Amino acid sequence: MHNPNRFFVSLLALLTVIAGVAMAGGGQEDATGGDEAPLVEIWGWRTQDAPVWEQVEAELQAHGENIEINYRAFPPTEYDSKLLVSLQGESGPDIMYTRRLPGARTQALIDGEYMIPLDGQVDFGNFTQATLNFIQSNGNTWGVPFANQIIGIFYNTSIFDEYGFEEPETWDELVEIAETLQADGVTPFFIPGKEAWALAMQHAMVGVSIPGVDWIQRLLVGDTNFLDQELVDLNTRLNDLKQYYQANFIANSTAEQDAAFALEEAAMVFYGIWGTTNWTELNPDFEFGYFPIPTVDDSDPARAYVYMDGSYALNSISDVPEAALTVLQFSATPEFGEIFSAATGEMTAVANVSMPADRPILVEAYGLSTTIAAEYIYWVGSPMGAGTPSPYDILREGMQAMYLDEITPLELAQRLQEGVSTWYAPLQ
Amino acid sequence: MLLPAVLLYTAFIAYPFARSLLLSLYDWPGIGPKTFVGFENYRNVLTGYMSREFFRALGHNARFFVLSWLMSMIPGFLLALALSVGLRGTNILKVVYFIPNTLSIVIVGFLWGLLLNPQWGIVNQTLRAIGLESLTRPWLGSTETALPTIIAVTAWRGMGFYILVFLAAIVGINRNMFEAARIDGASEVQVVTRIIVPQLLPIVSTLTVLKVIWSFNVFDIVFAMTGAQAGPAGSTDVLGTLFYRIAFGGLGSSDVGMGLGATVVTLIFVIVLPVSIFYVFILERRTETR
Repeated sequence: MHNPNRFFVSLLALLTVIAGVAMAGGGQEDATGGDEAPLVEIWGWRTQDAPVWEQVEAELQAHGENIEINYRAFPPTEYDSKLLVSLQGESGPDIMYTRRLPGARTQALIDGEYMIPLDGQVDFGNFTQATLNFIQSNGNTWGVPFANQIIGIFYNTSIFDEYGFEEPETWDELVEIAETLQADGVTPFFIPGKEAWALAMQHAMVGVSIPGVDWIQRLLVGDTNFLDQELVDLNTRLNDLKQYYQANFIANSTAEQDAAFALEEAAMVFYGIWGTTNWTELNPDFEFGYFPIPTVDDSDPARAYVYMDGSYALNSISDVPEAALTVLQFSATPEFGEIFSAATGEMTAVANVSMPADRPILVEAYGLSTTIAAEYIYWVGSPMGAGTPSPYDILREGMQAMYLDEITPLELAQRLQEGVSTWYAPLQ
Repeated sequence: MLLPAVLLYTAFIAYPFARSLLLSLYDWPGIGPKTFVGFENYRNVLTGYMSREFFRALGHNARFFVLSWLMSMIPGFLLALALSVGLRGTNILKVVYFIPNTLSIVIVGFLWGLLLNPQWGIVNQTLRAIGLESLTRPWLGSTETALPTIIAVTAWRGMGFYILVFLAAIVGINRNMFEAARIDGASEVQVVTRIIVPQLLPIVSTLTVLKVIWSFNVFDIVFAMTGAQAGPAGSTDVLGTLFYRIAFGGLGSSDVGMGLGATVVTLIFVIVLPVSIFYVFILERRTETR
């Protein structure tokens, strides 16, 4: 006998299948044959880049490229794990932000064949070789660099003007300025000693001027080592300088540093160009300048620690590789560089770009980054960063320990030598 | 009946742990091919280049247990004792004591970071205001005070829990015992030391075991107050922050090593497991004796 329930169930199943097929067919048409613009998914750790990609999308569309861009920014501390989990699941963005080389994170993506060499597909003619070095390995260029950072001393111009100070050209002049300010009740330096990375950065930025790049070059090839008296002297200079830092500086964070500097409670900070946007937001009237760490002798030129912040890489399993490549090709142009710097207030990695005129500090820093950048370094971007423990690993804890008088400048040098020489062949 | 529980346990506890155990035998940066290295990671952690950091962190965990036991249990017991008297306002005080427990660790870390700021934090300002300037410290900026400070904040946050547990136990003691003791001429101190304290020992043992487990798994409050580097100069580094730095690199670290991180996790497990078994044993025995 005919069962009406069974009939309706069969009918419902049939309709479901038909609907499913229709929907699947429709979807396929959208993906392949329709006019819908390909969507390029970009993942990064920089929230400040959202307006950059909005403008890039508009610019590409104005150039007749039918491409849509969706940018997602994750907190820097979560970005790498989010990316790794997605890539392991054979998904993820079409373009991913990657950190510089040498570095375990980016190297892992290269070794896992998630990144595609971009040589021959992107015109890298607008980048200096110094910038490209941070994203090249084995003769391949793995990403399009997006920003360069410059670190050094930022100073309050009002305070300097009030005391008639010029930017110091020697270390002794710097100490003299600090001494004068302190005697007059002004905090010469605000140091975020709680954040160990900032102290490691301080050591590295001073290192390119004292002992200097020639010494670092010899260090990298093993002609000298961390026990050299020149490095011990550098440690001693830094340790002696701490008398000019704010009281209890080891307990202060970078957020507190930013507030103190922007609100003009301290004259100088050892920091990076990325901090300038925040200072201006905290105090729009605040005027500040930059100078590289002065050398011991003014006949030696001061050098600036400049490093590439990161790059855009093409995911090997991108669904829209051609569109993604088009976006990457655009991100290697001066046009992109101008958009980037105007939107973020940071130095684009693209060379020969006009920095926004309303940001003189950026104009100055961009100029210095192309003229006095140190060629040899031992912090981020250095060959010594390729293994563990790196100078960075040791300096983070070591600088705090030295500043707290738990180890001497010589012992800090010994820690560096003992640690890095465990794996860095030229030092063995 | 047990199947759903077994499935959940297998999916969320047993399987991830087995994977972690297996991972500790590999060198793996988190993606791409894994390289089998046998017990090399264990050698590095226990006797190699990571051993100094590992044993220092382990020592900090042990210190965390001892100090947090003292800072939580003794004040918790004394406050519970005071509340058990039933004076006016007891209920309000119970709520007040428990409020910090409802705050997330991140908020607690942030708030205390502000309170302990060496320049303008209210802690040092208060000390100055009452003429105790000599006691002002860079609380989180000194290798001597940073870890005890974090432990004190942890104790402050958890105090409500200990008070409630002790209070429930004190209220549960048979009132006739107190009456009998007083009729026999026992003083209040004797009532506390001869009746209440012995009656609370099973609770103390349970809380102590839990304290060991929590102390050796601690991560969040240290991360919230002194960051992944657990400074100054590693003076607040515990196994949890050490694992975080090794496995995920921390901020700006040059290296990431899931295998090495899994090794640290396995060793934490080896430390905590016997204590956990002992805890289950205590609970079982108590259930049987009821």
